Amino acid sequence: MKTTWKDIAPVPTHQEFLDIVLSRTQRQLPTQIRAGFKISRIRGFYTRKVKYTQETFCEKFQAILDGFPRLQDIHPFHKDLMNTLYDADHFRIALGQVSTAKHLIETVSRDYVRLIKYAQSLFQCKQLKRAALGRMATICRRLKDPLVYLEQVRQHLGRLPSIDPNTRTLLICGYPNVGKSSFLRSITRADVDVQPYAFTTKSLFVGHFDYKYLRFQAIDTPGILDHPLEEMNTIEMQSITAVAHLRSAILYFMDLSEQCGYSVADQIKLYHSIKPLFANKIVYIVVNKIDVRRPEDLDPEQQEQLQEILKSGDVEMLQASCTTTEGVTAVKNAACDKLLAERVSQKLKSSSSAATPSGRLGDVLARIHVAQPMGGVRESFIPEAVKDLKKYDKNDPNRRRLERDLEEENGGAGVYSFDMQRDYTLANADWNHDKIPEVWNGKNIYDFVDPDIETKLAALEEEEEKLEADGYYDSDESVEDAEDADTRMKADLIREKRVLMRNDAKMRKSLKNRAQIPRSAKAKKLSEMERGLDSAGYDVDAAGSRARSQSQVRGRALTRSEPGDDDAMDLDDPRQAIARAKSRARSQAATDRRNDGVTDETARTKADRLFKLGQKKMNRMARQGEADRHTTASLPKHLYTGKRTIGKTQRR
Amino acid sequence: MAVRAQFENSNEVGVFARLTNSYAIVAVGASENFYSVFESELQDVIPICHATIAGTRIVGRLTVGNRKGLLVPTTTTDQELQHLRNTLPDDVKIQRIEERLSALGNVICCNDHVAIVHPDLERETEEIIADVLGVEVFRQTVADNVLTGSYMALSNQGGIVHPKTSIRDQDELSSLLQVPLVAGSVNRGSPVVGAGMVVNDWLAITGLDTTATELSVIESVFRLGEMAPGGAGGAGPNKESIVESFY
Repeated sequence: MKTTWKDIAPVPTHQEFLDIVLSRTQRQLPTQIRAGFKISRIRGFYTRKVKYTQETFCEKFQAILDGFPRLQDIHPFHKDLMNTLYDADHFRIALGQVSTAKHLIETVSRDYVRLIKYAQSLFQCKQLKRAALGRMATICRRLKDPLVYLEQVRQHLGRLPSIDPNTRTLLICGYPNVGKSSFLRSITRADVDVQPYAFTTKSLFVGHFDYKYLRFQAIDTPGILDHPLEEMNTIEMQSITAVAHLRSAILYFMDLSEQCGYSVADQIKLYHSIKPLFANKIVYIVVNKIDVRRPEDLDPEQQEQLQEILKSGDVEMLQASCTTTEGVTAVKNAACDKLLAERVSQKLKSSSSAATPSGRLGDVLARIHVAQPMGGVRESFIPEAVKDLKKYDKNDPNRRRLERDLEEENGGAGVYSFDMQRDYTLANADWNHDKIPEVWNGKNIYDFVDPDIETKLAALEEEEEKLEADGYYDSDESVEDAEDADTRMKADLIREKRVLMRNDAKMRKSLKNRAQIPRSAKAKKLSEMERGLDSAGYDVDAAGSRARSQSQVRGRALTRSEPGDDDAMDLDDPRQAIARAKSRARSQAATDRRNDGVTDETARTKADRLFKLGQKKMNRMARQGEADRHTTASLPKHLYTGKRTIGKTQRR
Repeated sequence: MAVRAQFENSNEVGVFARLTNSYAIVAVGASENFYSVFESELQDVIPICHATIAGTRIVGRLTVGNRKGLLVPTTTTDQELQHLRNTLPDDVKIQRIEERLSALGNVICCNDHVAIVHPDLERETEEIIADVLGVEVFRQTVADNVLTGSYMALSNQGGIVHPKTSIRDQDELSSLLQVPLVAGSVNRGSPVVGAGMVVNDWLAITGLDTTATELSVIESVFRLGEMAPGGAGGAGPNKESIVESFY
């Protein structure tokens, strides 16, 4: 939320305003125009002038309207403060006038642009433009007072202290001259003016201080006199505004010594009259100047009045002296603590009605919560050695040599390789670096590691010895009967034969760099087949004859059969054929195709001429003949690409 | 005592080391700097073991252990197991367990008395944990995360849980474990407190990025170093200020 308005642009006076707008029109738009130009151009020229001026005016006015805060949009405290300081009505009217002026100028511009459309000459156009700009200037001139007022408001607004209405606030109020400003001086570093006369402080002052790691703001208000609200002046009204609107802890200052010039009774009366403003707020009565007079020293009547205030219960009395700084911090701390507790409890209450708050607050609470167990704590196991452990010191010459030191000495990281087995706690330290194979005879050593392996081995050995002693291994029955021997022999034979067959097949299968031909495609000689069958003990003849019969080709013989064969076709006498072969070919009469069919010489020349005529087109097109339909490239690339330096174009 | 350290530019100390009251296991790194941090802090009080598990360096995530025992996953090789047996004291029981959730450090969080485990852990594993580590076993989640070992750092004197754990869960876990608990973070806001630090009853080692605030919370909840017993971590007298400024 915005709490300061330091960045409002300065508001020019009406004269400056006019200068700015008109000179901008003059500078930004073309100035050359002639009577001889087309009338539409002349009209356009002046329309543009009028419109541009209007736009500039409106832009500037809008900037002013946007720069100032809208009273309905800001915090009620700031709204009331501005009302007190600048009079809200006046402020609204000033802004309203600016806004009206903006609308008027827009209307003027619209009217005159419409008129310029009907102008017939340069002169008419120019007169209309002058009239338009003149009216706009008049409207602007009427804003003289509002602009001056707004500039003053702007300057004052920029100097207001930045008061955040929602943060933690201590508000110091009371009669004039009771020591409010000196208290602010003593708790914050704000350099407030402290003088021994009333109304030294004429406006709100803000100081900041830290308490419990939090930033608090303390607000010093001008003194208030006890009279009705309507009679209060601007200075007092600022205090009232702050008291009424700020969510804060209120410190009502009292001066029992009456050095301020107001009696104790008056001060108590003021408290009662502004009490309605303290509703729902934390209120403290701070008795100042206790170095001069303490509340105990009051006469009974005043004492009673004072006690009456405190009787209600929600008001506490604190004592301080700004001159001796006695009790100042106590006042501050008490107020801050109560304010903080109040704010926190409100937050916890408002966040949710459930027992455990959720959302962001829940997260925060969860993180600062320490869950304590119900019963006793667990026993911990801290070795005794930890208690007299000396802290490792890098610069101690007798320090422990760490692995890192060893590493440095032996070539640094990447070179040094630490001894993994150094710290083994075995029965015998010499065993630390013994090598144990991972796998032995194809067996994983660790599958056989057994804590009881030694005892088991001993037991086994003992059993073995016992067996041996009993003569368990003495008997020798290696008798084999004949049948077994025969079977063994046959089995051996079968095995041998199998191996031979396997080898044979391997030999056969090996290609020896030849192409692989399927067995079915291979030509086998009949003799081979016969031999194979023979060795296997089959009848060869029948199979052979069948094979032969199958291999004979059916159909026409491939060779010409002998003459006289019965099957042969009837042929002519071969001698006739020979004679025919020797006979001469039919002779043909010689013809002159050029002159045949041409009756005389004239017809000849005519035919020649027609022939040439027929060829004319072909020749012209450089055709080889009627059938030549070749099309050459229309743009031969080699002639049309590349750079054209001196003479190149001509050459090609 | 709480110190900061880094394993090869990684802040996740709990991934590369396992620290208990009777031994420490440290991953084999390219240099000895990380190992030497443990060496200088522990000196000869408890043995420190350079080890790999299944050939990896994430020993802290794969193993779980306390003063009485050590559990390693089924992927551990025979040689690694033998190395651990040779190095660690004889009264530490070492057991390799067949468990589908083989990152035991992620799914089990324990001190010398009690263990909080992943709800999906097998029954046999639960029994082995109870036998070997000598603890009561509870199936629980931490801030709705099943990876109890990742989101919780525990010693016999205190514990840190995931920063988003609700107050109710904290109280429940605390009464289960019988140690004080706080919700906190390590390594500049990392919620994986179990993987970001290692802790035993007198020493905590956290990542180098851990802020001073986080370290002070750790020291106070684990009661390390200067922190006298009873000085709780977190807010204390400044609770109001924290609520006021953070909300």
